[in-house]
Amino acid sequence: MKTFALLLFCWLAPLAAAGTAASAEQAYARGDYAEAVERWSAEIRSEGVTAARLAALGNAEWRLGRKGRAMVCWERARLIDPRDPVALAGLRHAHDVGGVERPQASAVEEYAAFLTADLWLLLSVAAFWTTVLCVAVPRLRRRPAGEVNQWTRVGALTVLALCAPGLWGGRVLDARAVVRRPDVSLRLTPTQFGEPLRGVAEGDVVRTERPFNGHMRVRTADGKTGWLRAGEIETVRGPGLPADLDQKAAP
Amino acid sequence: MGRLLAVCVGLALGLLARAEDRVSWEITPRVTAPGQPFRLQIVVESDVVLGAGQFISREIKPPRGMALRLSGQIIRPDSNEATFNFSGVAPEQLGEHVIPTFNLRFTRKAVVVPEIRLRVSDQVTYRREAQARAELVLPDRVLFVGELVRGAIRMRGGEDETVVASYGLESLAEGFSMAVTAERQSLPDELGQGLQTTFDLTPIREGVGEFSLNGIMLVQPGEAWLKMPEPGTLNQGGRDRPFTFRRLLTVAHVPERGRPPEWNGAIGRFVAEGLQVSKEEPEVGEPIRLRAILIGEGNLDRILPPDVRGDETWDVLPATERRQNRAEDQRMFVYTLVPRLPGKLRTPPVRLAAFDPTTKTFSRLEFTPLELTVTGNAPAQVDLVTADPAAPAAGQPKPVTGLATPAPNRSSPFFRGSPATSLGDAAGFWPANAAALGLVVAAMTVTGVLGYLAAHPEIRRRRRARAAMRAALAEAEACRGRGDARGFAVAVVRGLQAGVAARLVAEEQAMTQSDVERVLPGADRARLDDLFLRAHADRFAPAAPAAGAGDAAADLALLRRLLATR
Repeated sequence: MKTFALLLFCWLAPLAAAGTAASAEQAYARGDYAEAVERWSAEIRSEGVTAARLAALGNAEWRLGRKGRAMVCWERARLIDPRDPVALAGLRHAHDVGGVERPQASAVEEYAAFLTADLWLLLSVAAFWTTVLCVAVPRLRRRPAGEVNQWTRVGALTVLALCAPGLWGGRVLDARAVVRRPDVSLRLTPTQFGEPLRGVAEGDVVRTERPFNGHMRVRTADGKTGWLRAGEIETVRGPGLPADLDQKAAP
Repeated sequence: MGRLLAVCVGLALGLLARAEDRVSWEITPRVTAPGQPFRLQIVVESDVVLGAGQFISREIKPPRGMALRLSGQIIRPDSNEATFNFSGVAPEQLGEHVIPTFNLRFTRKAVVVPEIRLRVSDQVTYRREAQARAELVLPDRVLFVGELVRGAIRMRGGEDETVVASYGLESLAEGFSMAVTAERQSLPDELGQGLQTTFDLTPIREGVGEFSLNGIMLVQPGEAWLKMPEPGTLNQGGRDRPFTFRRLLTVAHVPERGRPPEWNGAIGRFVAEGLQVSKEEPEVGEPIRLRAILIGEGNLDRILPPDVRGDETWDVLPATERRQNRAEDQRMFVYTLVPRLPGKLRTPPVRLAAFDPTTKTFSRLEFTPLELTVTGNAPAQVDLVTADPAAPAAGQPKPVTGLATPAPNRSSPFFRGSPATSLGDAAGFWPANAAALGLVVAAMTVTGVLGYLAAHPEIRRRRRARAAMRAALAEAEACRGRGDARGFAVAVVRGLQAGVAARLVAEEQAMTQSDVERVLPGADRARLDDLFLRAHADRFAPAAPAAGAGDAAADLALLRRLLATR
């Protein structure tokens, strides 16, 4: 009886998940974006984060006017899948129409966006170990390296060299954050009453440099540097769902 | 009676005789050069009083290319003679040109004028630049339906004549609409003295059509233009000079191939001047006006306003369009925008396409969006409904936005992972790699050391020899302590043989005093002989003790010296 109940549960669980996903899409299609956000968030919590789910959630958040949360979702979706079409369309739409400012990607960042940071790392580690083994094995065997070994060594070193800008670009891409609060000012100093330099809007993407005194030094899309409170921004690299900034901290 | 009858018959014949009209004409000059002005005089003599002339030039049909206008007439009320003067310009085509027979209508009767012939020859000396002349400026290419073609008639003065006025412009053009934009304007300085009349021509039908334009300019000989009469006064010294243009124009529709979907009938060369808004920091829900200014040359008035659609950030409402002065060559499209979300928003895109009739290509124009800061709060939920009141209530598609349709179930085998942490941040990733690298380096080091030792066996041999020498030294010290002279000598000799054999790569047992001398130059040979004799005393007969023999400290020093030798 217990076995039968377990089998029944295993059979029903995917059906229930599929039903949740379908209802979220239906809610989105009929314009009930709040419902779509709820259902996709629950799906991400229960089944894990994927680029497609985050991008869909970003669309629903954008429709609700929550630009900061939408940008966080799309940026994180791109961390998982740099070529996710929904996230790319959302970011382009936010930049072109929504007035969101996003730093212009440098050549290294464009290059790094070809793969994810993890894939760059895996590729470079594989190339490194191939090179090491190509050097070590003939020495351990006390035999001269053959022609195949030499070509493999050259190929692995080439791949390693090609991975270097990807790794660097991945680091640069990770060092970004999304402004989550509306009507935020960039401050001259990392202090509570720091002089406001210029305004940044919710949803703007900034490059992060270093934290200090509960603030983060950031560089905006137009090159202006200043300090923002840590609670006003959310780093692109983070857990799947955007942080709930309205939630009070535990006493 | 007979004479009376003859007179009556004569009178009757006189009355019944047909009235005969005499018509003569004269062209001056009789033979003209192409484009040369000429004068035609027609003299009518009738047997009755003619009366006033009626519609004299209506029935005259000059041949193609010839301009001919009535410039004056002399008809006395009580006379049966009439004189008509015509001004003309010869056609450009050589040969004989015939003005067909036509009627001159008077109050009393109509007089038939026989055909008139004009010979045009290139043998006639004529300087075109000396005379006033008219030129038609019109692009020589295929025109397009709806296009605005700017044309002009340039009435240019010559060296001997000046143009002082023009009048009587007539046009005949089926399939075209024509509007005179400016009359009798002075020519630009680079074109010399003269006047010009500009017009806009718009083809309205596809096909080949003839466009004809006639008019008269008033010319004066000499430098009379320097003392031109006051406006409104008649200059008696002037002379009429007609002009006529007939041109076959080919009109086509704007090609459908390559036509962008946003093409709204714009033909010409345009530039998107920019956008203007009535307020740069509106609140959510506050309507503002967006003006898109288009400048350039072309059919600005015929362009349909570009379609601007709303999205989740803007509602777009229709607005009354205001047109600027036509002379400014610009057009303004006006829209009403209502922001739906707060923040920094960009105005919706305004795009249109234009067809360049010169290059026969389409080009796309886009007004650079403006960035506005919208204040206020967003509604809890933004419904994407169209704001066009003229749209049907049902079946209206949602406005196109830049967001793609979500596909949350899409998955990619290569792109999986978590945005929270990267692989490089995972615990154990770098230590595991470092440990593996350390193992590989250690293995390579060991292998290298072993290989080196294998390649250099003397290292191990000397190390063993040093160990043997240390053991022998210790044993010798022990024998010395207990007074065993032979054991002492045996231990010292064994140490010396071990050390020397390692140096000379030889067997220890085969080493003699001479070998020790080779390794330790300057060693005391007598002491060595004594040591070896004592060590191997059982092999030889007893001998007399040598000088210095029995000095154990010197023997040990010899062994230590060999041990210290590298």
